[in-house]
Amino acid sequence: MDTYNRFLAENVLTEDKVVTYRFLSRALQVHVNSAKQMLYEFHRSQNAKRPGAVHATYLVYGTKRASDGPSASPNGTDGDIDMSSSAPEVESLTEVVPTSTLSLVPEERLKEALAEYDEVTSVHVYSIGPHPAKDMALLVDAANQVLSLGTGADQKRLAPIINPRVRRRERQEAGLKAAAAATAAVKMQAKPGSSEPAQVPASAKVKEESKPAQPVQETADKASLGPAKKFAPPIKRGASSGIMQAFSKAASKPAKVKKEAEAPQLAEANGHDSNMQPLSDDGEDDEELPQPKARSASGFMSKKEREEALKRMMEEDDDDEDETPEKEDTPEEEPMEVEPAAPEPVKEEETEVVTAAANGRRRGKRRVMRKKQIMDDQGYLVTIQEPGWESFSEDEAPPQSKPRTATSSTPAQATKPKKGGPKGQGSIMSFFSKK
Amino acid sequence: MVTLDEIADTSLLQKPFDKTADLLERSESNYKPLDSFALPKDRQYQQQFADIYFLRLAKIKPAVEEVASAAWEGTVLGGETATKVNRVLDVRQGQLCWVAGTVYMDMPLKPSVLEDVSKDRWISAPVTADRYYCENGGESIMLEDDSGRIRLVGNVLRDYFLVTGCIIAAMGTENVNGEFEVIDLKFADLPPQPERWSLSKPFSSGAIKKSKVKDEDVDMTDSQPSKKIAIVSGLEFSGTDTSYAMELNLLLEFLLGEALDPSAQSELSHISRLIIAGNSIAKPSDHESGFTTTTSTTADSKKPQKKYGYDASSYNPLPSQLLDTFLSTLLPTIPITLLPGTFDPANASYPQQPIHLAMFPKARTYAPVPGSAEPGWLDPVTNPWEGEVEGWRVLGTGGQNLDDICKYVDSEDRLGMMEAMCRWRCSAPTAPDTLWSYPFQEDEPFVMKECPHLYFVGCQPTFGTKLIEGPQGQTVRLILVPSFASTKEIVLVDTETLDVSKVKINA
Repeated sequence: MDTYNRFLAENVLTEDKVVTYRFLSRALQVHVNSAKQMLYEFHRSQNAKRPGAVHATYLVYGTKRASDGPSASPNGTDGDIDMSSSAPEVESLTEVVPTSTLSLVPEERLKEALAEYDEVTSVHVYSIGPHPAKDMALLVDAANQVLSLGTGADQKRLAPIINPRVRRRERQEAGLKAAAAATAAVKMQAKPGSSEPAQVPASAKVKEESKPAQPVQETADKASLGPAKKFAPPIKRGASSGIMQAFSKAASKPAKVKKEAEAPQLAEANGHDSNMQPLSDDGEDDEELPQPKARSASGFMSKKEREEALKRMMEEDDDDEDETPEKEDTPEEEPMEVEPAAPEPVKEEETEVVTAAANGRRRGKRRVMRKKQIMDDQGYLVTIQEPGWESFSEDEAPPQSKPRTATSSTPAQATKPKKGGPKGQGSIMSFFSKK
Repeated sequence: MVTLDEIADTSLLQKPFDKTADLLERSESNYKPLDSFALPKDRQYQQQFADIYFLRLAKIKPAVEEVASAAWEGTVLGGETATKVNRVLDVRQGQLCWVAGTVYMDMPLKPSVLEDVSKDRWISAPVTADRYYCENGGESIMLEDDSGRIRLVGNVLRDYFLVTGCIIAAMGTENVNGEFEVIDLKFADLPPQPERWSLSKPFSSGAIKKSKVKDEDVDMTDSQPSKKIAIVSGLEFSGTDTSYAMELNLLLEFLLGEALDPSAQSELSHISRLIIAGNSIAKPSDHESGFTTTTSTTADSKKPQKKYGYDASSYNPLPSQLLDTFLSTLLPTIPITLLPGTFDPANASYPQQPIHLAMFPKARTYAPVPGSAEPGWLDPVTNPWEGEVEGWRVLGTGGQNLDDICKYVDSEDRLGMMEAMCRWRCSAPTAPDTLWSYPFQEDEPFVMKECPHLYFVGCQPTFGTKLIEGPQGQTVRLILVPSFASTKEIVLVDTETLDVSKVKINA
């Protein structure tokens, strides 16, 4: 019975904290309304012993006197009072609607605050603290203490208003059930949305039977989740050794194939995802026992796998970045090189002037076409292309030496680097290899 | 006037006693969102905007002409009978006639794309002008259709709100200056209104019984007081401004039903849905935005280091975390519809698409299952948004459409402008002229095909509500939802009578 007295004495008197009813309710696992009464009783008893020992704030709810409410004119807000102009002046007046006011007042001002009300429907202690509350904004910290305590389960028990119809989606990390049941689900959902109606006619008896079973299954689920998670990556490794493979010499092609093979898998996983059923409270579809082992088969990716996929993607990204300057190069160089007869081979060379080359990285300038927009004398915008020199350095990818020789040899092959875009996957390897 | 003695015997100002508190069950929300404003995922922006005006005119013109011919057919003025003219260009000088078309307003302070182009400005900054009109005139009103445009003059124009993009019919004559002297104006007026429960079905009492939890005492069966929906806008969770944080806390406790006494709590349990109408996240403060612009300019000169994820130095995650906490605390007891607003992390142009759920790591577990027909418990929707709540057709916006109209008109009569929008049959007439919009090709969703029962506009400076009526007996409840951060007010709408009340929170 007196646990709350001890708790409040500890927190308020000894530790100098402000305690709100929500915090008390969470901390002692009591209903919020009881917590409000506890605060009141503690406040009363302490102040009876020693006046001014604790200070309360009250939450008052009711209707205020009408005087200050509706008369506030709508155009007094932003000082924009130049209504004298020609605009239509027919103000459509707003209806006066009943307004309830919820106020948080310290006990010192409670009397004045109540005087402003016409009718008070509800009043209770909001918080008590060792000092008078000067600024209500400071109560925010006290109010937010609740966050450190509250979990979903607690709230469900203590909240005065419950909503049995709440639907939530199972988190993907925890949502193995759906993945495991995916095959079943797919069968069930041959007609989309048919699963919902299917559940409705399920008799209450089934509900009751499955209800006690659910927690057990869930714990089993969790238990089996641990090992499954650990096992999954090695299996995966066996199939394809992840990132390292990307660096190995022959990897570029198999990796590519793998990726492609993975894409449908991924899509499949997504497909399952979308088939995922909302978690039903009554656990009706728990007949489909979660089978973590079936996950790899069903293509559902574990966290590890997803991480790897992400890493691979980032890697690919980097490759792309390396490729883009190269791609930019080719179209510019091409026209010049294809220009027949090559009367000035010198010019060809000059499309790129390397001023320094160290460690296989080069700096220099290369010729590019720049777009320039100017306004001509008649005021039209004209876009012209003019050749210019642009310096490049090791920040950008080194232009490949091999394609270069190829292009200069035969124009037929000159188109090759362009096509070789995807083949450029292996470019990073050629970079590392000896020149 | 209430004194201390009067409240002394309130139940919660007593010693705690051992009584198990009743569990209140929140009323069920009957809800069917429509995706009238959803854009395709693979949309592109190559198209021209002209199609929007063409489609809008094609959709509304017949209705306007119908109204106009009913009013003006056979009108004789000065011995001359008014005739209908099909195209703006067919108006002949001195002939009494009437013609329908789209209004175009040319205003001194209105941003102009031609000006931007001629000054070589290619990056469009958000519109910053707080109004387009100018005290000393200089504006001109034109009526245009696909054939051409004609300038409208006449005192009658001052009696109406007119903005770019609304469709009107005007009767008058062309004078010697080639201007059209307007004698009278007509709008399409309210579109046909669907019946209540036209898309969804009311819960039968049997259904309620079935879904009821098997608790000891749930005495809700017989006395079914009417439900309410709560509409709030402008929560403006901020990383820097904490001046209204306590009010937000109280709002949370109020909606959860944790505050107040049992009788008030049972009243609150009838709030069946919360609609958040825009601006859940505060405008970035000047300091923050200034900081980001400087970083972006330096980024131009020097290639920034490539990073995955966000840059912690220029991004403050606190506002979205606070919003996430707010939502995830409320969601176990109340379903929420979330509209984006001007400052929210969604696209800037109308119609704004739903806020991505990745913003809400905690609340997104309540989100709709992708591909399922059932709306989510947390339903992030478009702005504007249309749906059916408790059988009533509801149209709501985050407020940009009305704010933009306000820039055209020298008036603070926002309710009147809302009414005008309904009578124009267009929920965002100024798109795409001054209100950024997606360049629609196939459909013009801003045209109101069906008249809503409830039309709310969020993020407004003050509260306001009004009931308007149409010629065929349509009634529309208009609500200006005030911004919570500045007014600390929320709006409650009764779902049987559509009566409005509000709750003010003082901390």
